Amino acid sequence: MMAQLARTVKKRIISGDGGAWAYAFIAVALVVFALFTAYPVINAFIISFQEYKPLGSTYAGFDNYVHSFDDELFWKSIKNTIVYTLLTVPVSLVLSFGVAILILPLKKKLQTTFKAVYYLPAVASGVALSVVWLWIFDPLQTGILNQLLAFFGIGNLNWLGTSATSMFSLVLMAWLSSHGTSIIIYLAALIGIDNSYYEAAELDGASFSQKLRHIVIPFMKPTTLFLLVTGVIGSFQVFQNAYLMTGGGPDNATTMVGLLIFNNAFKYFEFGEASAQALILTLIIAIISFIQFKFLGNDVEY
Amino acid sequence: MVLTNKFRVFASVLALTVSLTAISACSSGNNGGSNSNAPATNDSGAATEEAKDTITALLPPVSANYQSNFDQMEADFNALYPNLTLQIEPASWEDITQKLDTQVNAGSPPDIAFIGSDGISKYVEQGMLMDITMAAIPEMIGDFDPVPLNYMKNGSGLYGFPAYMSIHALGGNKQFLEEAGIDWKSVQKNGWTYEEFREAIKKGVVSSGGTTSRYGFVFATSGVTAKDYLNILIKNAGMPAAFDKDLKYAYTSQNYLGVLKAVRELIDDGSMPKELSSVDAGKRWNMFLTGQTMITGKGLATFENSAKTNNKKIEAGDGAVEGSVPVNYVVLPVPTFGADPVASAAVDGYVTFRGKKEPTEEHKVNVAKAAYYLASGKIAATTNTELLVEQITDSGRTAAESLDVERDPDNAAASQRLQSIASPARPDIPAELGAEAIKLEDEVIIPKFQALLADEITPEDMFKVLKEAAVKAFGEDGVVTD
Repeated sequence: MMAQLARTVKKRIISGDGGAWAYAFIAVALVVFALFTAYPVINAFIISFQEYKPLGSTYAGFDNYVHSFDDELFWKSIKNTIVYTLLTVPVSLVLSFGVAILILPLKKKLQTTFKAVYYLPAVASGVALSVVWLWIFDPLQTGILNQLLAFFGIGNLNWLGTSATSMFSLVLMAWLSSHGTSIIIYLAALIGIDNSYYEAAELDGASFSQKLRHIVIPFMKPTTLFLLVTGVIGSFQVFQNAYLMTGGGPDNATTMVGLLIFNNAFKYFEFGEASAQALILTLIIAIISFIQFKFLGNDVEY
Repeated sequence: MVLTNKFRVFASVLALTVSLTAISACSSGNNGGSNSNAPATNDSGAATEEAKDTITALLPPVSANYQSNFDQMEADFNALYPNLTLQIEPASWEDITQKLDTQVNAGSPPDIAFIGSDGISKYVEQGMLMDITMAAIPEMIGDFDPVPLNYMKNGSGLYGFPAYMSIHALGGNKQFLEEAGIDWKSVQKNGWTYEEFREAIKKGVVSSGGTTSRYGFVFATSGVTAKDYLNILIKNAGMPAAFDKDLKYAYTSQNYLGVLKAVRELIDDGSMPKELSSVDAGKRWNMFLTGQTMITGKGLATFENSAKTNNKKIEAGDGAVEGSVPVNYVVLPVPTFGADPVASAAVDGYVTFRGKKEPTEEHKVNVAKAAYYLASGKIAATTNTELLVEQITDSGRTAAESLDVERDPDNAAASQRLQSIASPARPDIPAELGAEAIKLEDEVIIPKFQALLADEITPEDMFKVLKEAAVKAFGEDGVVTD
């Protein structure tokens, strides 16, 4: 088998039918992948069995994994991450889909304007956005959100300072920003639906909701599955918001697993434990993605 | 798709370039700092004997004009030691830790980095610090005040030289203190007990119709700053360090519970905002300048300058903090909890690192020379004068004599008094114990303290959780029981 493959490759190179050039082009992506993805993953796997020290690591067996499973904070961070994911991803999909539907009938120039406006937070620095949100969540009476509450006669809330509201504050932040990519992807999918379907439905007297239910939503299934899977993966890896807004507090109420891994690695220099936790997280994400494809991707074709 | 030969060649060259760039970018980190464009690492020192040696230093903007003097500092050092080159890499306060940690974990840190002495135990644990005990000559050691110098020690090792010792105190608004009938001059001289402080800050509160327009006391406690608040209080409750002299964990003492109860009392009195857990350093300074609090913390000596600068801007009507009022900053001590007063001190300095290769004795001597050069004499005098902190070297004091210091005499006297009762360093605490205590602080104390500030947990419950965690970490015999 291998010999046959080698012969084919050699034949293509000699015959000059473009095969050699193709390998040269693939090599770029392959080298980058090997250096920046495969090598770190393999290295993380090795380090996860070590007590890492710059001057010489020592073999630690499964200690890092055992310690992670025994660590209450690890499980709390997993729970926080799941809660955050459940609260943000579905809402984000619904919001993005809704906005895309609203933008679709607009003229091209106006469409582009809205796409740019919604995509803007994705371009802006996360740090700058966090500063604005910290201002919005100002805990004193003068805070923007608290002034809004005062308008309805509600007393001021310590948004990021109490366990009861800190997670919701991060979720609210996710709800009200960063939908640009999903909106653009949904719009592209919506534009891709052939007009003949709508025309046929209109001839049959279908209402807006009927067209939405029987034409748009079925056609959006592959897009939705893609956004759901990538959204869940992104949400499980969330780090920046908690790091910049709450530092994981109060009482670790917003410590996500990504932040915990970061702290273990770069605050305590426990790279072994951080690598073990990162690999456990990879496994969790892989299982969830598998389940999503298994149950939601049966009738989806790309 | 058919490609022309020209295009094929061009595309191949491009592909090859991208691949090689990626490979070379990854491999350049291990060259031991020989790249002339990158700062050399201390590995290079191992290769030279009596030849020119390069000492690298990663330095943040310690004071306003510090980084603008780097060229002069490098030139002066070279003039002093013609065979040595000091190569300074500037860093911002925001990224110095990340830069340093990346270099440390790659095994190629700079020879010297400016960091807080509280980070020493972490790097000792990593085995990445360079002990300069034998390299530092007695004249260097003798130049430093012993208390700050001891902060640079861990066990029997000396890991650099201190730049300054900054006292963490409180800061008051002179006008508001006087309106509240508080004899601040007496407090500066004699200190105050927790009970006296509690009553004083109650008088500073101004509220009407259920809305408080001015609090008696606001301390930054958001995120990790909560640690500062708790630490300056417990130092004045008979626990100057996490371990007592017998190396037993001290925060399981009942005195600790007393401090936790006091923290809640001050909020429940209405003297501090109930939203305190979200007040960060910037917010509380803004509250101080805008007259929303009578006393703030933590207070650093340099705040007197910041307040004066803002006052000038108010007077000139140009660029002052929005809504700010003129403030005369008063240095105040932290209240005591039935124990001797102890001022919380933060010592920052020039910490010496080593690379993967064992540094030569000659390189160690050269690094010690560079660290001493940066931490003493003219550089120390200029920097510490800018920061309004006391000089901690004889050579710095001499050099500072010719420098003008615009300082309130009462504040200067109060700062000196606090400096004299600064909490001593504890180099006798083993690195492993120190690291364990830091982890306990980060994983148990700070989260639970945040919950206490947010009124989600009682002082008793927090103390119970801490005690259990401490016993788990240090054993029944390893903790104080009283």
